[in-house]
Parts: sequence; C-alpha cells; structure tokens
Amino acid sequence: MKRTVIAILAIAFVCVGLGLGQAKHPSELKYPSLKFEPPDPKAFRVVYAGGLRAYVQEDRSLPLFNITAIVNCGGLYAPKEKAGLDTVLGDQLIKGGTKTREGTAIEERIDFLGGSLNFNVGERISTLTLSVLTKDLDEGLALFFDVLMDPVFREEPLKLAKARFVEQLRQANDQPDGVLSREYEKLLYGDNALTWQPTKASYEGITTADLKAFHAKYFSPKNAILAVSGDFAKADLKAKIDKFAAGWKGTAVAFPALPKGFPAAEPGVYFIQKAINQGYINLGHLGIEDTNPDFFAVQVMNFILGGGSFTSRITTKVRSDEGLSYNQGSRFTTRWGFPGTFSGYVQTKSSTVGYAVSLILAEFNRIRTEPVSDAEMETAVNYFLESFADAFQSAQATMSSFANLEMTGKPLDYYKTFRTKIQAVTKARVQEVATKYVHPDQAAIMIVGDFEPCNKGGDKWAGPLDKLGKVHRINLIDPMTGEEIKNP
Amino acid sequence: MRKRILVLVAAAFVLAAFAQAAGVTLDVKEHILKNGMKILMIPKAGVPRVVCHIYFQVGSINERPGITGSAHVHEHLMFKGTEVMGVTDYAKDSEIDRKVDALMDRIYREKYWKTDGDAAKIAAWQKEFEELAAAEKAFIIKDDLWTRYMSNGGTGLNASTSQETTGYYVTLPSNKVELQMFLESDRLMNARFREFYSEKDVIMEERRLSENRPGYLFGEQVNAAFYAASPYHWEVIGWMDDLKKMTKEDLVDFHNRYYVPNNAVAIYVGDFDPATIIAMAEKYFGRIPKGPDLEPIRTGEPSQYSEKRLYGEGPAATSLQMMFHMPPDGHADTAALSILASTLGSGGGGFRGGRGGGGGTGRLYKTLVRDKQLAVSASASSRPQWYVGTFQFSATPRVDKGVKPEDLEKEIWAEVEKVKKEGLTEEEIQKAKNKGEAAFIRGLASTAGLASRVGRAELKRGWRSILTDLDDLRKVTNEDVKRVAAKYFVKDNSLTAIYTRKSGR
Repeated sequence: MKRTVIAILAIAFVCVGLGLGQAKHPSELKYPSLKFEPPDPKAFRVVYAGGLRAYVQEDRSLPLFNITAIVNCGGLYAPKEKAGLDTVLGDQLIKGGTKTREGTAIEERIDFLGGSLNFNVGERISTLTLSVLTKDLDEGLALFFDVLMDPVFREEPLKLAKARFVEQLRQANDQPDGVLSREYEKLLYGDNALTWQPTKASYEGITTADLKAFHAKYFSPKNAILAVSGDFAKADLKAKIDKFAAGWKGTAVAFPALPKGFPAAEPGVYFIQKAINQGYINLGHLGIEDTNPDFFAVQVMNFILGGGSFTSRITTKVRSDEGLSYNQGSRFTTRWGFPGTFSGYVQTKSSTVGYAVSLILAEFNRIRTEPVSDAEMETAVNYFLESFADAFQSAQATMSSFANLEMTGKPLDYYKTFRTKIQAVTKARVQEVATKYVHPDQAAIMIVGDFEPCNKGGDKWAGPLDKLGKVHRINLIDPMTGEEIKNP
Repeated sequence: MRKRILVLVAAAFVLAAFAQAAGVTLDVKEHILKNGMKILMIPKAGVPRVVCHIYFQVGSINERPGITGSAHVHEHLMFKGTEVMGVTDYAKDSEIDRKVDALMDRIYREKYWKTDGDAAKIAAWQKEFEELAAAEKAFIIKDDLWTRYMSNGGTGLNASTSQETTGYYVTLPSNKVELQMFLESDRLMNARFREFYSEKDVIMEERRLSENRPGYLFGEQVNAAFYAASPYHWEVIGWMDDLKKMTKEDLVDFHNRYYVPNNAVAIYVGDFDPATIIAMAEKYFGRIPKGPDLEPIRTGEPSQYSEKRLYGEGPAATSLQMMFHMPPDGHADTAALSILASTLGSGGGGFRGGRGGGGGTGRLYKTLVRDKQLAVSASASSRPQWYVGTFQFSATPRVDKGVKPEDLEKEIWAEVEKVKKEGLTEEEIQKAKNKGEAAFIRGLASTAGLASRVGRAELKRGWRSILTDLDDLRKVTNEDVKRVAAKYFVKDNSLTAIYTRKSGR
C-alpha cells in the first residue's frame, strides 16, 4: 500500500515537472537534452583462430544466440553461362548437406530446436545466419560451421532445386515492378555480370562441381567476417569458435575482373507493353558510389528531392497536391564497388503517366536551379541527426553493420563521423551536388504499362509520349530462353 | 476500493500461472486512463529510442456495403491535419472547406444518384471545385505532422489498417515521446479531413497497384466467396465503387464512432521511465472525453452446408488454394490447428502472414515437392482472426511435368485423411511446440514487433492472451490434432480455388 502512495506522489511530481498548461502547438514543446554516442567497432572486434575476424557483443537480456558469417562472394563472380549460380548456391549450401549430415537432417534439427539457419547470396556479399536459444548454442554452432565450411552439394537436392527454379522462371515477367527494375538496370548498366539473368539452359548447366568450386574459391577464413551477439561470455565463445575456425583452411582469393565503364543510355522514353491500368515508371541515370566524398550531401539533397517521404518535394507535388499516385519519390541506390542508380519513380493510372513524369522532371530541374529553403534544410539535417541512434537498436544488426564496414573497406569511424558530415552540408552544397548528379536532360524514362492509354495522356498532359523524348519500344525477354519475345 | 483489491488478487493469481519459456516471460506495465484508454509500457534499457504505437479497435470488418474501404481511407485522412496542425488560418480554411464539401455533394448527387446526370453541370462544378481547392492551398501546411515527426528524428513513421485494427506508428528519441502524445491526442480530438477528394484519388491508385499484382483480382473473388456473410468478405482496400462514392460525411461519422479513447491502446517500448509516460498520457490523452461503448461485430459466418469451388484464369502462376472455416482466436481448437499448419505446411507461400511454414521440413513439402516432385511449392497456414478463421493450403504444380492443380488437390486430401486417422508423430508435435516457444522469445527481442503484437492483442483478448496461447499450444495432444482434423477438414466446410495461367499475357 505504501508503495502505491509513493508511486502516486512520484506521478504527481512528474506532472508538475511537465507543466500544467497544455502546449497549443508542438513548436512550444521543450525536450530534455539527450546525448548519444555510437558504439565503437574497435571495442567489439575479435580475431579467432586462423585469422577469422568477428564483431562480437554480449547481450544477456534474452536467452538467444545469433551469428552471421558475411562472406565476400556473390552472383557477380559467376560467369554468364552459369547465370543463376548464386540463386542455386543460396538454396543448396544447406539443402545439399555436409560431409557428415544430409541437408534435410540439418533442416529438421534446426527446426526441431525452434531455431533458424538461413543462407542468402547477394551481388558480392553472402550471409549465413543462425539464431538459436542459448541452451542450443553448442549444437547450433556445430551445424553453422559445418554448413559454412564443409558443404558437399549432393546430386539429388540439386536436381530438384534446378527443376523448381526453372519452373519459377515462368513468373519472371508477371510482376510489373519486377520487370521494371530488371529492365531499368539492364538499360543503365548494359550487358555484363550486373544484369545477366538465368535461363533454363543456364540453370540446367549448373553442376555440383560448379557449386563446390565456387564455394571452395570464396569461402575461406580470410574472406569472411562474423557478426555475433547474444547470451554468452565472450571468452567462452572464443574458445568454442576457435575450435571450429582452426580447422578452416582456405587459400587467398583471386576475384574475377568486375564490370566497369557503363556507356550512358540514350535519353528518351523506353516503353514495355503490359495490359495493366497503371504505368510503372523509373526515370534517371547512373548515380554515385557510396565512397564518393559527396555522398553525404547527396543524401541530404535526395531527402529534399524525393527521398524524405512526405516531407519531400516529389511526394508533395505528385501525391499530395495532385493525387496522382500512392508511391513516388527519388532514390540513389548504392552498390559495393560500382555507381548505383539515380531514379525518380512513380506508379500512376495510364492517363496521368505523362503528367506525373513531367512533374518529376520539373522537380529534377528545380533542385538544380533554385536553392532549397531553410525549412527544408532543417528538416532533412535534423532527420539524419535525430534518428541516428536507430541504427544501433539491435546488437546483432550493429555487429553486422560493423562487419560490413570492414568487409567493404569503409573507415571504421564511419558512424562516429556520420553526424558531423551531415551537419557540414549546406544549402549551397545541396545545390552543387544536385547540379552535379541530377541530369533531367540525360534521363532514361522507362515505363511498363499499356501503351495506347499512356500515349494518349489526359487533361493536364496530353500525349503523345514522344514529347518526353524519343520513344523506344522494348520487347520482353522470354525468361526460359533469354530470347526476345517478338510478338507478345 | 474493495473491488479493486479483488481484481489485483485475481491478477496476481493469473500471473503466477503465466507461461514462461526458457525462464523468460512477457512483462507489460499497464495504466488505464479515466476515459478508458489503455497505456501499455515495456521498458527496455539501451539505445535512447522509444517505439510509440497507438492502436484502435477498428478495421474493415467495422464497415458495411457502401463504405467498404473507409477504415483505410480514414487512416490516410488522419494525416491531413487538425485544427492546429496542417493549417495556417483555421477559420479561413474551414470556410473554404465547407464550400468544397457542399459543391462536392452536388457533384456526387448529379454523378452517382442519377443515371443521366448533366455532364455540363458536373464539368462546371468541377471547375469551381478546382478553383476552391487551389485557394485552400494558401492555408494548408503540407504534411505538417509528418514533417514535425521527421525533423525530430521520427522513424518507422507509418500507419496501417487491417480487417480488425488500425495502428499509427513512430519511433522517437527517448526525450521526445511528448511530441507523439501531443500529435496523437490532437488528431484523435481534432482531426479535420482536408484534401479528402485528392486523397481518395491516391487511394484509388493504391487499389490499382493491388489490381496489377497478378492474381490479386481472383484472390479478391475467392475471399469474397469464402466469406459470404461475415464482413471479412471485402478486402481492407474496399471496392472501387465505394471508394469513388464515399463522402466526407461518411468518414466524419466513422471517426466519431470509433476514434474514442475507450477504443484505443497506446503502447511504448524502449528506453523510458514508466512514471513519466503515465504522467504525459494523463496530460494529453486524459483530456479526451470517453465515447460510447462499442458493440462487437454482429454477423458471423453461417455454415456452408455444401462445398464451394471457384475457377479463374489470368496472368499469374497456375495454383491451388483449399480453404476451410476454422474458429477464431481464443477458441479451444486453434492451438491444435496451428500445430497442424506448422507440421504440414512449408516450402513457400503461406497466407497473409498466417501461422505455418517450417523451412523444407513440412509434410507437404517433403511429399509433394521433394519426394513425388509434383509441386514447386506446397504450404499450409492457420489464421484464426478475431471473429472467423481460415485454414488454408496453397500449392503450385510442376507445370513442366503436366501436373494439374486438381492432382495436387487429391494429394493434399490424402495427407489430410492420413492425419485424421493417425494424427502426427510425437516428434512433429514437439517440434511445433518448440517452434512456438522459440518464436515467443525471439519476439521479445524486437521493439516494433513487440509493440505491434502486444498492442493488437490488448484490443481484443488482452495482452496476456499471448501467454495463454503459448500455454494452450503446450497442452495439445495427438488426440486433439486428430479431432480438429476430422472436425474442420470436410468438403462442406471448404472452398477450393483453381487458377490457371492464361497464355498470351
């Protein structure tokens, strides 16, 4: 009872502290100060036996154990005739089993423990992730390293996987957004490892020998970094991981030459026919690498242009003012070792396709030619500064971020200096980088939709589409053969 | 006073019986305001951020024909300003807004009430409307709430509407939770649905995005056929006709009815002191008057008495769906059905976030995908929902081998009959239980996920139902599994949907 009284008093005290008067507007609210310093990667870095690097954080709040191996290996390293090797590897590392375990036995056991073991192959980074309860740490760790180090890629599971992936090719042209992003990248990067697509023949040509060789080449302790968090003592864990890592042999990795030099696409309209009631649109050109010194200024600029959700210009104009679309904006994508793409995007009903594109192009021009406002600048900069701590909410995500910094060769003080770099961005810099990296006159405008109604336009923007530039009609590729579909 | 103590004693008793998994349990601090609004708190020391969610017990099942989609439209409009937010001069803005509404009322009557409305009149009024809308822009501060949140470091900023609930989300620095209290209480009390008509256009674009997802339109028909009477019959987005004809008055009525504090739960997860949260909640949400009590949904789903079958074709993968009516959340049979879904289903798909899945270890995956090689994927899921539930099987045939959806249907029935006779193995049942426990613990690790789960559960059966559901799962026996399989997996309780890819698209 006494405790209740104290609690009530405490509440009353806090009420007084908050002030009795109601604020009439949020601008009147006063907030207590808050300091946040990001964790320092160096404090978490560990090197296990055989030089296997790791970022490790004890987190005793729940009886869970998480470990991710980040490996420099991806689809970009597969030759053209083996396109799809990444997808198959992603499926077969676990399902193909190890020297001592069948794939199904591994899956069954993990499932029985209520754990998860997932493998994903990206463009240049592959990740194997295990999550189990602390009581299953030892068993989980043994399965994790077995799969990571000693997969054998058995014939039968591979045969099944290839048949399923070939079947799934039938769906490659179904989703308009999937078609758009694939064809847009093909247009901007051209024909190279960044854009090669699997076909029936390439899937069928993939052998267990290919998978073994690919794994043997890239999966080595020097080419991997671990991210680990959970309910353990660091020293105990080191003893356990050292035992596995000591047996992990690998040679120095020689990486294939990466694609470079991407000739600019001819500006204009690129139209892909699909009998749907909206146009799905990307417009833009190649962007920048995230190692570019202008990267931070570009982040702020793009937030104002079309990256900052409802606070951004494209959303305000196209969605909020005109009611033309549900999704719209602009983005600079990043990829390790290459420039990403820059694009405005929108999906809108066929009759307003031309109008929406014209509004986005106008915003591209405006951010180049007019300084942004103080209010826009304040919102953008404050967003990056005030939301910064969000990136460190989960111990496992934080350790993975640190491992990725090291893997991609970024400075380990990336997070420490992040806010200073954002704060240094000025209105003049925003306009400078807009002029440098946003080029409406060079934009390739790709549309997936129904040509006739899109071309006709509507009240506010009458067609034809060639008012936006030369119209190129693009035929889809038959995903089974990789051949163009001439008469869709 | 005495009553209160009794409640406390009862609560303590229930707490002692609560589920634990690996020695951890879910601990939620509660505070109820005088107006009936519930404040839930899960303090988690660490990064100085607080997940702030607010949930309302309202969704598309609270609609009726004519206003389908309105729960979702309303959610959009909650971002369109209040008497203090999003407006420079409220009095002047209101004056224009009233004129706009009166004009649109005339347009709607001419357009939608008559079969031969006067096109010239409509065009003239439309022009007048556009002039008024342009004039109103002078008083509108665009997306003011959104800007206010983002410039204060708000992330995860969003809202969503489901059949049963509507939620509004933001994660803020832990020193700025008061901003959420201010803005959310303000829009609960003072929402003014500016730009209603252009926002409806946005939502129709959102609906078109769904329509352009291959197979969506068929799925919408399947759902409507499966639920003949219950308001789960229509999709959350609503029918296009209703979106077109819905009026602002419909939305104001909707708001006044459902957006009352006694129909809301606010939940906070993160680095904060509960006493501070309670004090702020009293100050901001406590000032809102209590609304009338709300009646639960009336219409359940009557028994089918005969099998339903639906055939469709179009630009998506050939597939099979088999749906069975099952009881809602909290029913004695849901735990056994969830174990069945977990054990049978896997290999791809799942159904709208329903329970199920299981890597490549489900029976259907092993039989149909791996051993017999008849399917590309085969899965099962159970989705009890609040009022009426669905158990669903989904499968995609191996077209390359000439397999038809009907072939898979026979195979799935054979698996189902086997379960009716033999049930599952002890190991399978234990596996499903282990997965349930581990998922519970893993769920505690998230912040936004936990807020969503606990907040939504509180609306209907109370957040403790998360714990009692886990206990129920542990008690399931093979006899339960056989019993529910025999009870629910019967043709008269089912809808089978067969979709075939139409060539040439």
